[in-house]
Amino acid sequence: MLRRRNLLTTLLIVLPWALLLTLWHQYPTTRYLSLLRKDTDENVTSKALLNGTSTLREEGFPSCIRQQQNIGVTPKVIQNYVYSRPPPWSDTLPTIFVITPTYTRPVQKAELTRLANTFLHVQNLHWVVVEDSPRRTNLVSNLLEKAGLNFTHLNVETPKSLKLGLSWIPSHTPRGTLQRNLGLHWLRDSFSNTAPPEGVVYFADDDNTYSLELFEEMRYTRRVSVWPVAFVGGLRYESPKLSPAGKVVGWKTVFDPNRPFAIDMAGFAISIKLILEKPQASFKLEGVKGGYQETSLLKDLVTMDGLEPKAANCTKVLVWHTRTERPTLVNEGKRGFTDPRVEV
Amino acid sequence: MPKRRDILAIVLIVLPWTLLITVWHQSTIAPLLAVHKDDGGDSRRDLAAGLDSKEYCLSDRDIVEVVRTEYVYTRPPPWSDTLPTIHVITPTYSRPVQKAELTRLANTLLHVPNLHWILVEDSQRRTPLITRLLRDTGLNYTHLNVETPRNYKLRGDMRDPRIPRGTMQRNLALRWLRETFNKNNSQPGIVYFADDDNTYSLELFEEMRSTRKGSVWPVAFVGGLRYESPKVNAAGKVYGWKTVFDPHRPFAIDMAGFAVNLRLILQRSQAYFKLRGVKGGYQESSLLRELVTLNDLEPKAANCTK
Repeated sequence: MLRRRNLLTTLLIVLPWALLLTLWHQYPTTRYLSLLRKDTDENVTSKALLNGTSTLREEGFPSCIRQQQNIGVTPKVIQNYVYSRPPPWSDTLPTIFVITPTYTRPVQKAELTRLANTFLHVQNLHWVVVEDSPRRTNLVSNLLEKAGLNFTHLNVETPKSLKLGLSWIPSHTPRGTLQRNLGLHWLRDSFSNTAPPEGVVYFADDDNTYSLELFEEMRYTRRVSVWPVAFVGGLRYESPKLSPAGKVVGWKTVFDPNRPFAIDMAGFAISIKLILEKPQASFKLEGVKGGYQETSLLKDLVTMDGLEPKAANCTKVLVWHTRTERPTLVNEGKRGFTDPRVEV
Repeated sequence: MPKRRDILAIVLIVLPWTLLITVWHQSTIAPLLAVHKDDGGDSRRDLAAGLDSKEYCLSDRDIVEVVRTEYVYTRPPPWSDTLPTIHVITPTYSRPVQKAELTRLANTLLHVPNLHWILVEDSQRRTPLITRLLRDTGLNYTHLNVETPRNYKLRGDMRDPRIPRGTMQRNLALRWLRETFNKNNSQPGIVYFADDDNTYSLELFEEMRSTRKGSVWPVAFVGGLRYESPKVNAAGKVYGWKTVFDPHRPFAIDMAGFAVNLRLILQRSQAYFKLRGVKGGYQESSLLRELVTLNDLEPKAANCTK
């Protein structure tokens, strides 16, 4: 018994000292002690953090070239805070995959700029931008690189026949459909169904307005979550109808409330697990009645009782279906007044 | 004798474990707490700080400095003692899209360090919607209001058509600045008029921050053009305006196309936007002609090419 005790004691002594020695080997003694001292007292010397350059993004510093062996000299610790955007990636938060179809027109850069400015506040956001174009344009490529967001840049051109509308009924052509489907296709190519990442898929058009709160509401979607959207269906807002138990039982809309999913593109988010589980689910391209595009996807993914209401049981408006006025360019004339090389 | 050995054993055990626990505690918890102080209003600290922290050593023989850099995200960025403050004056009025417009504008402004938002409502009273919105953003702000008098002769809710929209609100903000800041106080600042429905890049705010007197740059989608721009000569001086609509105005520039140093605003305390009798397109000139001359203007945005 004595022997075992001795063994235990020896272990308890040797182990921590060995660990400490490894630590000390990695970091100089003085630095280690100074860290302790700095963190224990409340006064942190914080230096002016921004270097006044136009890009306020992460800046790296070279690591210590020489180890300092100044025994007995206590180093001064300067704490530098560098503002980074977007927020640093977290290993624990589910990722929000935002699919945005976009097309070239004068206000495109402005729309994408202010959208990026919103997304730059959201942690663990991956922006999938899909251009309606034969090639990825420089305008969008440069914008995405400069923004600093985590992104994927895709493109697929909507054939002119589809743009005009094949269906007999002169309903509005489903714009953005091919692009959204390509986004879904990319997700299914990039992630495996057997080991799906934690995340949610959201379709965000480039002219809408999103509050930051919305992204935190959708982040923990288990199947499909829904919430109100402002300025759709000719109303101040459309909203899911909830039962007293908090389940979705219908849709508070004037326009065709009996649609299976009478909800706008901006009013729902789907867990990526579900997208990967049901690889056949896509937006229908042809023969889609006006207002049924969302249904054409959601019906293959979820039923009404599988919906999770968000935004305080669908009582808060966190997203607005804003539309951008087309700018008048009458003074450009036939030959163009402004320099076409200047990107707008 | 056994007692002494026991004591020795206990010390040898307790000491290193305590040290280990302290170090482990500091190295994992401290970055998450990201202690940073800012004194310019509230700042949103809900999101975690970056877990990478890089260190580098400066050494000069006996003096060792350890610079510890932490990548943090706060909304808005921490206030800096060295950057000039940008005072953004935004007039706003109630209509269905007001909350949406202000939300996305705030999302942009929340990236800009040392920004002070002066929001002036066109209303009899400060509305709860705006009060709540401003408070929830965490921005450094001032909330004002002044109602543009209605013209009851015309039907409905027509404001006095002779007063261009936003004028009284912008003037109120200028007055507030003059009442709040002492012209002898050398707190550097820039004044910018930002309407709530425009789109601003983050680069713009850094361009205007270095304004000494008045700075100018191109604006898209005004004057019936892709963009209007100041004309800049080879010496980098503004000598005219590249517009189709009335290019001979003293300042043929949109409200969003210029910024003025706060010092000038405080010094020329009678300079305001003219309320009545202002021809279309001359509102900006009515203020700028009291503050700067063409020669004083600093062209920004790569000599007005961006």
